Amino acid sequence: MDEKRARFEAEVLPHLDAAYRFARWLTHAPADADDIVQEAVLRAFRGFDALRGSDVKAWLLAIVRNCHSTAFRQRQRRAFVPLPEENDAQYGYAMRSNIPDPQDESIRRDERRTLEKLIAALPEEHRTVLMLREIEEMDYRQIAQVTSVPIGTVMSRLARSRAALKARWLLETAGEPRAVR
Amino acid sequence: MRCAESLRVQAYFDGEVDAVSAVEIERHAEHCGECRTLLKDLEQVRAALRRSAAYAHASPALRTSISRALDQDGAAPVQDMRERDIRGPAAPTRRIRPFWLGALAGVGASAVAVACAFLLVLPRLGNPLIDELASAHVRSLMPAHLIDVVSTDRHTVKPWFAGHTDVSPVVADFEPQGFRLMGGRADYLDRQRSAVVVYQHGAHVINVFSWAGDGRGLPADVSRNGYHFVFWKSGNLDYCAVSDTARDELLSLVRLLQDLGARDRGE
Repeated sequence: MDEKRARFEAEVLPHLDAAYRFARWLTHAPADADDIVQEAVLRAFRGFDALRGSDVKAWLLAIVRNCHSTAFRQRQRRAFVPLPEENDAQYGYAMRSNIPDPQDESIRRDERRTLEKLIAALPEEHRTVLMLREIEEMDYRQIAQVTSVPIGTVMSRLARSRAALKARWLLETAGEPRAVR
Repeated sequence: MRCAESLRVQAYFDGEVDAVSAVEIERHAEHCGECRTLLKDLEQVRAALRRSAAYAHASPALRTSISRALDQDGAAPVQDMRERDIRGPAAPTRRIRPFWLGALAGVGASAVAVACAFLLVLPRLGNPLIDELASAHVRSLMPAHLIDVVSTDRHTVKPWFAGHTDVSPVVADFEPQGFRLMGGRADYLDRQRSAVVVYQHGAHVINVFSWAGDGRGLPADVSRNGYHFVFWKSGNLDYCAVSDTARDELLSLVRLLQDLGARDRGE
């Protein structure tokens, strides 16, 4: 075990879950996300020597994004983006379940499915920024680094994606008062 | 059309403005109905996303696969690597035995790597206390190291600490505020058995370390490698909250714990 590998495992691999979640939001397909993350981690390892004093998490996620665009260009022939599976049984481990009580759980599941559909329908550059902010809790500067756009663009994309999600959420849940909280 | 201040209001909501601007924006929202609605909408979208977005995790198979790819990357010439790199984790599962051999090797290699990391890397980072906390936090994120006593009930977690650590920290569930109590853990820190209370905040784990303070000053709050460290004293205990969650989120948990600590001591 050389020193570079040890440093890499201590500094970069703790962000593997974040990288994987990000890849899932980019691709929607668990198997593709695995491929992209693995490719990204290898690229990160090869480029690790050049990384000095920068934000490791933002750096790794930026590589994930690059790997995704490369893979996406290669696969454009397939020309479809699968929506999240109804029940990702095969990847059940990937979903953390907080199970307070059955009824609550089923409401959550409905809400989750609706939301995932709405998120998947957002344009990719909006979806990316939204998930980095709300789920990964990155600040504007980090999001700008990951997506390589200016902070002003991050702000306007965030505003648009939040407004779009809110509007579609209201449409989707109209007539289902319990889902509107 | 949108109020001209809407982007600033959003920045305020995201904790991106300084104190002076925050006051200005709060004052503006008081008499701008549109911005008040905006703040409410932002809060709703955030709550729904954090409540419902599926928190995916990298699977053990992916971790193993990455570890093996890294092994090979160190050894093989770069030229013929690309094919193998992008083959992904689906291939090994078909060959049962080699997969498990690989898996074991992977686990072994990670263990060695982590050991090396603590010996080689972290001591260089400066303040030894922060180094210890950083390594304890990272170690806790490895599978099966996070929690010794799993419970969302503080009446289970708190007595457990009495038998397993040298301190008795404040413990509470803050689920309504977004910080779910997951359990507790004993950790060796600063040459004593410290108590660690583990919270879940959305997709993020927060470790709250506590140990008997010796009157020395605590390090200043820092951020390092994507993790935030917030220190405080409460009673005769020193505390440190560590997480990769947003800093303002971490600070709001710290405030909840400080208030609770003050109340417990009857201040």
